[in-house]
Amino acid sequence: MKRGLISWDRAELPAAAFEARLRAIEQLCVRFDVPALAAYSDVGRSNDVRYISNFMPYWNRALTVVPRGEKPILLCALSPRVYPWIKSVTIHETILPSPSLAGQLLKLCTDREWTRIGMVDHAGLPHDLYTELGGGKITVLDIPRDALRPSVTDAEVAMHRHATQLARDLLEAEVTETAIGLPDYQLVGRLERRFRRAGAEDLVVLISDGRTVPLPAAGNAVGPHSSVTVALEYNGHWAKVSRNLDNATVALPPPPDTGDPEAIHRESLSGRYPWEALPAQGDSPNGITAIQVMIRRGESRLYYGDTGVQGPGGWHRL
Amino acid sequence: MLSPQRRRQYLELMSERGWDLLLFYGDTWRKDHFRCLVNVSFSGPQALAVLFRTGELRAFVTDPWDLEAVGAVVNANVTLSPQLAAGLNALLSQERSAVVAINGMEQMEARYVRAVRDSANTEPVSATFEIEEIRRVKTAEEIAWVSKAAELADRGYEQFVRVCRPGMTEFELVAEVEAFVKAEGAEDNFMLVASGGTEVTGMKPPTARRFQTGDSVTTELTPQVNGYYAQICRTLVIGEPSEKQLEAYAIFSEAQQAAQDLLRPGVDIADVARVQNDVFRKHGFGEYTGPQYTRVRGHNLGLYPDELPHVLENVHYTVKPGMVVIAHPNTYLPLSGYMVFGDTLLVTQTGCVSLSKTAKKLFQS
Repeated sequence: MKRGLISWDRAELPAAAFEARLRAIEQLCVRFDVPALAAYSDVGRSNDVRYISNFMPYWNRALTVVPRGEKPILLCALSPRVYPWIKSVTIHETILPSPSLAGQLLKLCTDREWTRIGMVDHAGLPHDLYTELGGGKITVLDIPRDALRPSVTDAEVAMHRHATQLARDLLEAEVTETAIGLPDYQLVGRLERRFRRAGAEDLVVLISDGRTVPLPAAGNAVGPHSSVTVALEYNGHWAKVSRNLDNATVALPPPPDTGDPEAIHRESLSGRYPWEALPAQGDSPNGITAIQVMIRRGESRLYYGDTGVQGPGGWHRL
Repeated sequence: MLSPQRRRQYLELMSERGWDLLLFYGDTWRKDHFRCLVNVSFSGPQALAVLFRTGELRAFVTDPWDLEAVGAVVNANVTLSPQLAAGLNALLSQERSAVVAINGMEQMEARYVRAVRDSANTEPVSATFEIEEIRRVKTAEEIAWVSKAAELADRGYEQFVRVCRPGMTEFELVAEVEAFVKAEGAEDNFMLVASGGTEVTGMKPPTARRFQTGDSVTTELTPQVNGYYAQICRTLVIGEPSEKQLEAYAIFSEAQQAAQDLLRPGVDIADVARVQNDVFRKHGFGEYTGPQYTRVRGHNLGLYPDELPHVLENVHYTVKPGMVVIAHPNTYLPLSGYMVFGDTLLVTQTGCVSLSKTAKKLFQS
């Protein structure tokens, strides 16, 4: 759950980055001939709206609507009591209380005399919202995600790089011999303290004892063949890194002729969800991509991995 | 883990409703719709369990690292399907014209509902309401897990009091509490905080604000153990509490106790809200019981930290034994700013017992 520091450091992610994105959205509205574009987000799916306005629904669902040539409007069910905080960490200036997201969006369309609207990844909407918007009052046009985010921007790469560096540094500081013998819960606690104090917004820790894939802690002792994977969200940007107590490493990305494709776990970190599995080999879409590799050492499985950017020139570690 | 009791209840429901297949769809946010049958904290974006009327159980996962853990529960009858629609097509094309119900259908991506419809050639129906009704009454095993979570919430709050001090930021405090409950075995923890005085109108994720003497520091602390959440709400004052903070606390304490005294089988949950609000009205603060200042006067707990029914005067639901409810009259008052106070309550055959053992008082740091 999101419960760490949710903030917006203008020096780190300048307002100009959002202004550029809004200009691109305006062009998208022209291209698709819609007066506005909307995007859905919830606690588990916040990447796209974070990209547009830096909004993260720490609870519940929301829609961000960008009228052509205007700043985005936030429709959310969160209490107006938290609007000042929302405004302090996003570019939103207008927030509409929306116990019913569909109802409020339809009202907005009526008020603005819009008969059609673009929706990012329309078929990805939750079924109830999709159905409520499909009543025929407006036409909802699908805007593919790759039209909204055709490539990873420099600003995004910089944020993911920071997240990745943080993940590497803090993980390597804890995954040392001193961890051997600890209950895995305690190692998770140590990581939580380090990462949250460093400003982590969300953190997921998975641990392998050498016999399984990385899994949530279960009360097992950390051993010499244990591996730890952390997925870190830092101000809306994810990184995923694995290290092991055997200090085993591999070249990243693994060469194409690597024997066991099941040993390679590739994920997109710039998709709709925090991470989404990609085929182990073959072409990957451009974007932020994590690669975790299982290394066999005797009977043990060790994990090593990192986050990089996949572009036309291949994958490069961040 | 798989609960034989839940599986039996779901199969009975399928038989009653004439459903051939019951799908349990969980995503990153609402894992509970999946975990109420296959209690595994999956890592990928989605997971789907399929219960056949015959009792057969299958699962689909979207992340390869979920195969082992989910497979261990469903006797290896699990398929990796990063594109869930493809998995649904493969499954349901063998079940043409089957009556398909979906738990969590409202949250399911529309493309997946369409895949079910197109593959099975029938319109799926939502099972969410009926499954939630079953889940609302906890099994003995589930009560044991909620009790462990409540015990951890108590210890987590002890840590909260121990480390909270002037000059510390909200997010540093959350880091310390989060680290503690995770080190003690919490799988997750839902936590909101706030700090300050009468300018504070609600809780939110932690900020970089530093605590000052005189602040009220509020938290809703909700550790999760084996999937099940328990919650505690308490307020702490940095330094000596003011007369107004003490006056406010007395009202919150009286309101929460009124709810705890009333909560028993057969009671309308609306009345559990009403008795709390009546305390505020009696003290002249009735206007602070509405949506402008507060959200709910409590809610059910379980595999999701905000289960229905919500405790509100306009929500009618007859309380049953085995429900786990937090009663929390959390709201803004001009005396103190936003204040919180609440315990996790287990409904028994004759009343309720608090699973929270933390002292009922206004804490000080």
